[in-house]
Amino acid sequence: MKKGMINKIALATLLLMLAVLALGASGVGAQQETAVGSDLGLKGKLGEAIAKAPVGTGKGQIDPDAPRGAFGIPGAPEINYLVAILWAVWVGWIFSTVGAFGGIMAGVGHMTVYGLGDWVKPFKNTAPQLNKLLTDSIRTSNQWLVGLSALLSTINYLKAKRLAWPLGIALGLGSIVGAVAIPALTGGKVSFSQYQGWFGLFVFVVGGVLLYETTPRGQASKKAAKEAARAFEQSIKEKKDEAAQGITVTQWSLTDIKFSFFGVEFKFNPIWAFVGGVVIAAISAFLGVGGGFLYVPYLTSIVGLPMFVVAGTSAMAVLVSMMTSITTYITVAGAAMDWGMIGVELIGVFIGSMIGPRTQKYIPDIWLKRLFVVLALYVGLGYFSKGFFGKAWVPM
Amino acid sequence: MGLWELVDQVLIMFYKISGHPVFDYFLGTFLVALLAVIIGEFTISMVFVVNKNHLDRLNTRLADLQQLSLAALKLGDKKSYDACNKEANDAFGRAFFNMFGLSAAALWPAFFALAWMQQRFAGIGFPIPFTGLAVNYVFTFIICYILARMFFSRVKNRLPYFRGIHRMLMAYEENSSKS
Repeated sequence: MKKGMINKIALATLLLMLAVLALGASGVGAQQETAVGSDLGLKGKLGEAIAKAPVGTGKGQIDPDAPRGAFGIPGAPEINYLVAILWAVWVGWIFSTVGAFGGIMAGVGHMTVYGLGDWVKPFKNTAPQLNKLLTDSIRTSNQWLVGLSALLSTINYLKAKRLAWPLGIALGLGSIVGAVAIPALTGGKVSFSQYQGWFGLFVFVVGGVLLYETTPRGQASKKAAKEAARAFEQSIKEKKDEAAQGITVTQWSLTDIKFSFFGVEFKFNPIWAFVGGVVIAAISAFLGVGGGFLYVPYLTSIVGLPMFVVAGTSAMAVLVSMMTSITTYITVAGAAMDWGMIGVELIGVFIGSMIGPRTQKYIPDIWLKRLFVVLALYVGLGYFSKGFFGKAWVPM
Repeated sequence: MGLWELVDQVLIMFYKISGHPVFDYFLGTFLVALLAVIIGEFTISMVFVVNKNHLDRLNTRLADLQQLSLAALKLGDKKSYDACNKEANDAFGRAFFNMFGLSAAALWPAFFALAWMQQRFAGIGFPIPFTGLAVNYVFTFIICYILARMFFSRVKNRLPYFRGIHRMLMAYEENSSKS
């Protein structure tokens, strides 16, 4: 190639590069947006994040003149209280008929039905701090809803003296560690997309468990357990001589605690209970769920304790981890709360939980589970793809 | 005037009783919390009456299975113990999440009280003496709410309507502990 030709190409390339840079620079100037510059009367970290967000009426912008919506932010979706009540009736209905899946539906309400997710997401590029802060607010709102049952359960079990307090202490301490660590470490750092993706993955796992329960193998194992329990029940029907006794701790050590209950001795390793508490509370706090559905199988299946002891104790562990996690999200991470939204949802939930028991008898358990498997696959796939790949693979 | 404005006008009156701002804040917050407790107790009584049979069934089944699992353990019957425990796990799940309905019925007014307080008192810090730390309206409300609950639980058996509910609950608890 001739030298002159090379020079021409080099010159053209340089000019092209300059043109691109000039265009880029003008683009930067053109895209530079004015920040809100004021907290618009919103306190704390939310106010600081609002002040840094760009002004405008588009996506990922704050319009200070717009009517105030969720969390008191101008332009945020206004929570339609009727929709919120109706959705919460559905959540309450699920809680009272199927159980833990209600927590997932509460999350779906916050993210999708009320439109908070689609509104929060564009702030990822324009105001990342606000995006992450509102993600924490959604996580905390979910936790309020799914963790409240633990409050009344704990009070009831306390009254009935049915809390295995050595186990409760070990589990509770662990859950405090997990419920402080996760909000402190991830509060203000997890974008809404990431959260949505992980939430989708979690829904898949719950859906998988439900799916197993509906398979012939899952059904057979359930049936076998039911029959074995019934047969045993029959065999000891005439021996009802159990007297109520409290828990008596018979041996203390760092790796072995023994206690007697109803005259039967139980033992557990407090270190494992502590570790279990840390892990379960960490998962619950990250996903914004209650955690009861994890504590109970962990204590019955892995630690090997009877339900009699596990029931109240796990309720207490959920309560401790919920209180800790919510407090840390609000105080350390600065998550904002929309108290009115939660109040409205609670009204819906108690209406739903009154309807649930009355309609349950008309729908066989297996069909309910199948319905929720389909829902879990749909919701899980939608959130997983939206969160991690930026586009929902199913309409949502 | 909208409902929210009306509520605002009523609730703020609780904060103007003595004319001393600090005392009025805590007294007013206590009265708002007490109102939330009373409304919540009224709602939970309704839910309890309507759902009593269902809750009874769930709790009885759970208690039976728990007794059975313990009996199996005593007899060294591991297979039956696992089976009863598994069944009890299922029953507990239902009973636990049904509690959610009850807790929602008891607590919903507290969240509306917090929503109102946020509008009125957000941004005001209440210093904790000798620590240099300050708490906000949520903390003061929760303290007042717990106190209001304790106060109400002591007086409710003397109040009309709640007296009847209280008797019913006592009888229910007595029967539950016998079964």
